[in-house]
Amino acid sequence: MLDKIIKALLLTVSLLFCLNGSVLAADVVDLNQLVENAEIMDGQTVTVSGEAIGEAMERGDHAWVNINDGTNAMGIWMPLDDIQSIKVFGDYKHLGDQLQVTGVFNQACVEHGGDVDVHSDSITVVAAGYATAESVPALKIVIGLVLVCLASVLGLIYLKVIKKSDG
Amino acid sequence: MNTFNGRFYSILIISYYTGFVVLGIALLMVLPILTAVGLQEWNPFWDFIITMAISVILGLLLIIIGKQTRHNKSFVQWKHGFVVASLSWIILMFLCAIPYLLSGHVNSILDACFDVMSGFTTTGMVLTQDLDHISLSLNLWRHMLTFIGGQGMIVLALTFLLKETGGAYIFYVGEAKDIDLVPNVKGTARIIWKISMVYLLIGTAALWIDGMTIGLNPLSAFFNGLFIFASSWSTGGFAPYTQNMMYYHSFSYENLTIIFFILGSLNFGLHYAILSGNKKELLKNIETQSFFITSFLASVLAVMWLARTGVYHDAIAMFRRVVYNVLSAHTTTGFGSVYARQFALEWGDFGILILVIVMLIGGSACSTAGGFKGLRIGIIFNSILADVKRLLASERNVKVFRFHHIKDQILADGLVKASALIIICYLITFAIGTLIGTFYGYPLASAAFEAASITGNVGLSIGITVPGMPAVMKIYYIIAMYLGRLEFLSVFALIGFIIGGIKKCWTK
Repeated sequence: MLDKIIKALLLTVSLLFCLNGSVLAADVVDLNQLVENAEIMDGQTVTVSGEAIGEAMERGDHAWVNINDGTNAMGIWMPLDDIQSIKVFGDYKHLGDQLQVTGVFNQACVEHGGDVDVHSDSITVVAAGYATAESVPALKIVIGLVLVCLASVLGLIYLKVIKKSDG
Repeated sequence: MNTFNGRFYSILIISYYTGFVVLGIALLMVLPILTAVGLQEWNPFWDFIITMAISVILGLLLIIIGKQTRHNKSFVQWKHGFVVASLSWIILMFLCAIPYLLSGHVNSILDACFDVMSGFTTTGMVLTQDLDHISLSLNLWRHMLTFIGGQGMIVLALTFLLKETGGAYIFYVGEAKDIDLVPNVKGTARIIWKISMVYLLIGTAALWIDGMTIGLNPLSAFFNGLFIFASSWSTGGFAPYTQNMMYYHSFSYENLTIIFFILGSLNFGLHYAILSGNKKELLKNIETQSFFITSFLASVLAVMWLARTGVYHDAIAMFRRVVYNVLSAHTTTGFGSVYARQFALEWGDFGILILVIVMLIGGSACSTAGGFKGLRIGIIFNSILADVKRLLASERNVKVFRFHHIKDQILADGLVKASALIIICYLITFAIGTLIGTFYGYPLASAAFEAASITGNVGLSIGITVPGMPAVMKIYYIIAMYLGRLEFLSVFALIGFIIGGIKKCWTK
């Protein structure tokens, strides 16, 4: 009986340890938290998550990808191979891929002229980006057309008034 | 022939010229409309159609109301120029805020007005949210506002829309652009715009090419080049992405912006003199001397101070993160190569104080820059030197002191007084801004930093200017940007005109 209890306890503790470990590894830090605590976080391996925005800027065998997590935006320095996994970058017409990046945070990167950045070790696309559908409200179009008509009518009145005034 | 009747002819004059300014801005909306069509951004397309139609209606109504002015242009006085300038800026702020509001990227009309005033005044503070998903046409509009604001939009509208511009100098001075490059104002305005357009072509091309070399795709590199040049040249500080200059991660891109924002912060008269072959003017001019001395001193002090903190490890990092921000602050550009909060967390009180001082000093008079202006600092400094020399000289020895600004000029008491008055006005605006900031619980250094940035039309933020900041601060910042850009006199003229009008109505 005691043997079973000890075994169960050992299993529970080891499971707790494993689960706790996996939670820590995936503990996502806000980008703004990194900026606010830059001195403490400098040189540490962190996991950040955010939408890939703009475009990838290739520089040799690496590239810059900027991500925005809603609290702030930051540059991720990653190997070129990792860029292939990013299909959609966020802009007016797109919601970019949601990336989860694990890498080393730098308060003032020595390699990049004092940049605040993350040098990635691994990248995962946690949610695929997509093209956002743009629909123009009918009311906006109606208001626009009415105002254009009004402006045109006033333009004609203006020409008449000015001609009369000059004449 | 005089056809003006009654006591309120001033209103007709102001209405007439303000109408043209509004009409001028309405016509400029063609550019974002065409961009929206080209890129198939249909929501912004209708936003700009609505705004343009409203602006045309208002502009035409104002012209029709003041139509009698067409035959009474000799009645136009200095006060009208000042009032047209200051009133137009307020009307245009509301009109130009419409596309922001309709885009859904701002929380309120107040935030939209804040961003427009920030653009017009070439400040560069931003309350627009989610810049990374903003349409290209709205981004074009943001950067157009700052570019036009920098060159002088009243002058642009009146010079190009009115056939006769005999009295246009009045409007010119009203917008704090009192310079006469050639005898007639139309010629001067055209020279200013010609200089700006030549630089626009060169600057956009340079940033476009560099943009492609740093990994931007050609179309994106073009728009980024255009936007960043417009912001650099006008010392505006807007950028198309949330990260501002940090988006590009590029030393070469930052260096190009330094060249363009320093050029933009120099007096148009200096550009004209150099382009006309008078290269020595660059060294002799009181403003360039003042700018190079203060920027050198500020950069050295900031580098020495931040070297002590040990955040930046090498010369390149120091240049890109410290000198860049000092120059950006001094030229009142406001491009940031560090996060806003880094100023508060890493720069320390001394670093912040250095930035506050250079932000208040600002760039050159009759440039796109804000602040006291190097000319006034130079005049005050020279007048102190002159007074000391007078004290030490024999009483029988009457000496006339001079300074060099485009030409040799006498250091007259009136000039010194006028310069001192404007500097005092700036300092009062800055002090009130700091006071309000501390009232709302911000630390003194942070409140002073933000107030200096707003008053000097800089645009660097320490993290106070966010959509959630108190509405009172947003309103005060709008007023401070407006006062700082128009250099007080035009706004005082508008206030005096309104009070005078009320008095007239009261006594009638």
